[in-house]
Amino acid sequence: MSVFDGLKFRKVSSPIHNLDPRVKFIYVCAIFVAAILFGEILPLTALLLMQIPFVVLAGVQREWLRSLRGAAFLAAIIFFTNFLFSFVTAGYVVLASNVEWAASMTLRFVVLVESFSVFFLTTSPDHLGLALELTRVPYEFAFAFTTAVRFVPVLAEEAQTIMDAQKARGLELEKGNFMKRIRNYIPVLIPLIVSAIRRSLELAEAMESRAWGATKKRTNLYTLRLRRGDFALLALAIGVLAASICVRLYVYVPTLSQLLQGWL
Amino acid sequence: MTEARLNAIKVRVLAEATVFIALTIVLKDVLPPIYHMPQGGSVTIAGLVPLIWFALRRGVKYGVFAGFVYGLIHAFLPGAYIMHPVQGLLDYPLAFAALGLAGAFKKPAVVGVAVGIIGRFLCSFAAGIIFFTSFSIDGVVGSATYNGVYLIPEFIITAVVIYILLKRKLLTIYM
Repeated sequence: MSVFDGLKFRKVSSPIHNLDPRVKFIYVCAIFVAAILFGEILPLTALLLMQIPFVVLAGVQREWLRSLRGAAFLAAIIFFTNFLFSFVTAGYVVLASNVEWAASMTLRFVVLVESFSVFFLTTSPDHLGLALELTRVPYEFAFAFTTAVRFVPVLAEEAQTIMDAQKARGLELEKGNFMKRIRNYIPVLIPLIVSAIRRSLELAEAMESRAWGATKKRTNLYTLRLRRGDFALLALAIGVLAASICVRLYVYVPTLSQLLQGWL
Repeated sequence: MTEARLNAIKVRVLAEATVFIALTIVLKDVLPPIYHMPQGGSVTIAGLVPLIWFALRRGVKYGVFAGFVYGLIHAFLPGAYIMHPVQGLLDYPLAFAALGLAGAFKKPAVVGVAVGIIGRFLCSFAAGIIFFTSFSIDGVVGSATYNGVYLIPEFIITAVVIYILLKRKLLTIYM
């Protein structure tokens, strides 16, 4: 069904997917801090390259490239505004250092977006629900999160059925101006809302028959445990953070144009 | 009321919230939108109606809850941009939680819709300032135009649809 194409909640298993979401989140935050610390192109390139083994191990190259392509438009905006700004302040001359500054700002954006997208691409909603529960978020949040995700395909199919039924009766959804189109969607929305609320009654009955909320303390069949890989990733995150803080404080990071000048 | 009865009501409301979060995902993320912004944000077929409808039906507390959870899920879907923890929090969970404020103004409902969407605008606006300024671009102007462009049509659609739903007395069915 074509409407499900945008939805990417698949059950995948890979070394990266099996990592603890909490540790993965710490890793992403470490990358974030490192990217904010540096404005030079060399360390930012290193940070971007660091993510590639991750993506390959998790087997999400295609999704990753797609998110890169999605970020391209904004990256272009960031590049041009930064370039234009430095172009004007430098007195209308193109300097290599200005181009490099604009490029490194763009690279910073790409690093940040990609590190978060790796986290979201490789964490299943179930895992996140478990992690939410363990971090003492009230259980209602974790429950609503995972159950709503499960309900999406059912409701999407129902929406499609209602739309087809109304189209068969002569409802034209793709015609008319802005206001007319909204009005045309009313005969779809009303049955959809009514059926959704009926479904919620069924869900409530199912929850009650399983004694939802009867005990304050809940237990789980599957729980998250930190394994060897998790500790390795945690060490990596701390390493990245410590290394980048040390470099920032004690080492002078040359820009690419300075390096090139040194060679020439 | 006995405790069991209270728990039953809580379960009903929670089940409703869950289903309406799912309905929002269907309308906003699964069905094709009318207009797509290059960087997140889109004008959809009444994508905000279920959340606001739920907030008007069950009040602020549950409305904010449903919006928050929807925002968390939304951050997981393709097309979400997070590049700063504060921006991510403001743009997704908090912006949609602000929609739940609609529940505080039930009469007239249009005010509620306006309050909810203004709340969302403020969150996205603040997120936009953080977003743009971390790449040294003037944040205030960029963020205001960017978020206004899709939220104004979104407000018109939501207000019209909610008005029609109210006229058909759909707000209180199966209460």
